[in-house]
Amino acid sequence: MSNGEFQVRQRLQSYSRRLFVQRAGLLGGMIALGAGSYLYNPRGSWAADPIKVGIATDLTGPISWGGIPNANVAKMVIDDMNASGGLLGRPLQIYLEDTATNEALAVTKVRKLVTQDRVDVVLGGITSSMRNAIKDTIVNRGKTLYIYPQLYEGKECTPYLFCTGPTPAQQCDTFIPWLIKNGGKKFYLPSADYVWPHVLNAYARKTIEQNGGEVVGEEYFPVDHNDYGATVNKIMASKVNVVFNTTIPPGLAAFFKQLYEAGFNRNGGRLACVYYDENALNITPAEEIEGLGSCLDYFKAINDPGGNKIQAEYNKLYPGVNPFTAGSAATGMYRGLKLWEAAVKEAKSVKREDVAKALDHAKILEGPGGGSEFVPGTRHVKMNMYTAVSKGGKFEIVEKSKGPVMPGECG
Amino acid sequence: MESTAVVPFLFDVIAYGAIFVLVVLGLGIIASMMGIFNFAHGEFVLLGAYTVYLLEQRSVPAWIAMICAPIAVGIFGLLLERAVIRRFYAAPVAAMLGTYAIGLALREGVRGLLGGQFYWVKAPLAGSFTLGDVSVSAWRTAVIVITVLTMVGCWLLLTRTKFGLQVRAALENPALARASGISTSRVYALTFALGAALAGLAGGLMAPIYSISADMGVPFLIKSFLAVMLGGGGGFEGAMAGAAFVGGTSAALPWFIKPVVADVVVFVVAIAIMKVRPQGLLSSGRS
Repeated sequence: MSNGEFQVRQRLQSYSRRLFVQRAGLLGGMIALGAGSYLYNPRGSWAADPIKVGIATDLTGPISWGGIPNANVAKMVIDDMNASGGLLGRPLQIYLEDTATNEALAVTKVRKLVTQDRVDVVLGGITSSMRNAIKDTIVNRGKTLYIYPQLYEGKECTPYLFCTGPTPAQQCDTFIPWLIKNGGKKFYLPSADYVWPHVLNAYARKTIEQNGGEVVGEEYFPVDHNDYGATVNKIMASKVNVVFNTTIPPGLAAFFKQLYEAGFNRNGGRLACVYYDENALNITPAEEIEGLGSCLDYFKAINDPGGNKIQAEYNKLYPGVNPFTAGSAATGMYRGLKLWEAAVKEAKSVKREDVAKALDHAKILEGPGGGSEFVPGTRHVKMNMYTAVSKGGKFEIVEKSKGPVMPGECG
Repeated sequence: MESTAVVPFLFDVIAYGAIFVLVVLGLGIIASMMGIFNFAHGEFVLLGAYTVYLLEQRSVPAWIAMICAPIAVGIFGLLLERAVIRRFYAAPVAAMLGTYAIGLALREGVRGLLGGQFYWVKAPLAGSFTLGDVSVSAWRTAVIVITVLTMVGCWLLLTRTKFGLQVRAALENPALARASGISTSRVYALTFALGAALAGLAGGLMAPIYSISADMGVPFLIKSFLAVMLGGGGGFEGAMAGAAFVGGTSAALPWFIKPVVADVVVFVVAIAIMKVRPQGLLSSGRS
């Protein structure tokens, strides 16, 4: 081999090696990042065209603790529907999009769902900012039905947008009188500075005052705030009975710890936080939140047959770190899919107008925490609400609403 | 302020200031000695906390886990420096973006492992003790003590040892240092590993105060950079002074003004100081 030939060959080899490395890198990157789109086809063979269910939720990013169980519940419920003959004789197909806790990305994802995949319904979104970002694309431009599953601040009255999670009225109407009776009259409202705490606090304050209580402080913190020394001192100095908290993790853990170490719990103070579910119990050691009260549409401790069945099936399919709970919107997702199923059955169609008309009064007899139904004309659900208290790292139910609680929205 | 609030106020300012100094320590060493702004620093802190969480899951006592955290993160930092960071020394801006990308990958990786959840870790010293009639956190007090010891240790290492001399020589005149037989590439690798180990220590000690979650390092990152800028680059002492200032005011201001406003004020005041004293808080420090 001549010297020149050798050089050329060596060059070719290194060129192809470089190309290989580049391509491998690109491929690896694509696998690692992914498009975040998943298609779940129904099992078995079906003659009819599938009904397409779009799920847009945060499988990655800071809200993935909620998005992962949401997607799990959707897969579980749709599989069950397919196993029992589908809907209107047609199978159901899931188009799952990872919105990655990123509103800008989410808009392009739901645009794909409504324009390219042409799904018949979209369920998803956890935070209010996410709902606000994607609703117009789904409902107005996409002319598609949208079901939002998370507990939230209320006031969402967009046509064709149906909410299946608890509202401030549902989380406060029975809970706050209970707190006054079992905690005291002086309330402090430490809050993260975004829309949900502001609007929820306005409702909570009204309810506290109507029931003879008093708000001694309402304070807002940047969402990533993580030192609460000043606030803890104010709470201790003004002898507050109930801390009605809407600050959020990760700073939340520091706040509860500082309160505990300052002696708030020891002196008989009561913590309250309406997003606290079984999942949230892991955020702090049990003794720091002993006696913490929460009010949600479902707790494992309710021990109702409907909830137990769902819980058992979910844990079998998805054992691990993302359980089926109310605070992560998993219950709202379940309810949303089941209510939509009932509406499609009644309407005998998946057309938006027909389904919306039936969904307006749709009702299910069984579900997490019991049956539920849409209050006609409001696109919100009335449901049973439960007050629970954390004892030794577990929730115990202390009060159940007398029948379903009205959402008090858009009426 | 009422007289009963003075002790809790001082404790809060010192305790939060200490946590902040601890976080900035590693960042400050890497920034001042190597000129690299490590945007993955918050995730190094996270890795330290995650190490403690992992070991605690395997029933390792918390204090042993906290000793392991800086070692594990230090080794990780060393490997990262050899594999990636050393390619960035000539391009500081690329280094910022590169370390940011590394941080993002680490954060999302840990988030995947945690399933996006939050977990707590037990403190080696639990509970609180009373000072007068004020209840004071035992673990936060321990963190203050450890921070002071670590600071002194780092200062001695950088000013009183042969390694410290080599580090400073490699910073001030790399060519001359190499000519004098100092392997600058080895010094840089060890300095980066030291910075990473300190971040791991901060994460380990912070773990019982904040819950373990993928975003636990994020709130500290931008303010840490502010602290380093305030300190005026060049010196390690400057970064510490900057950290004490930023951490202290971040804790102190919410006692007097709304917390959402306090965050902005910290930045405004720090920027004003930088304008007046561009050479840094401690101008007598090394340049």
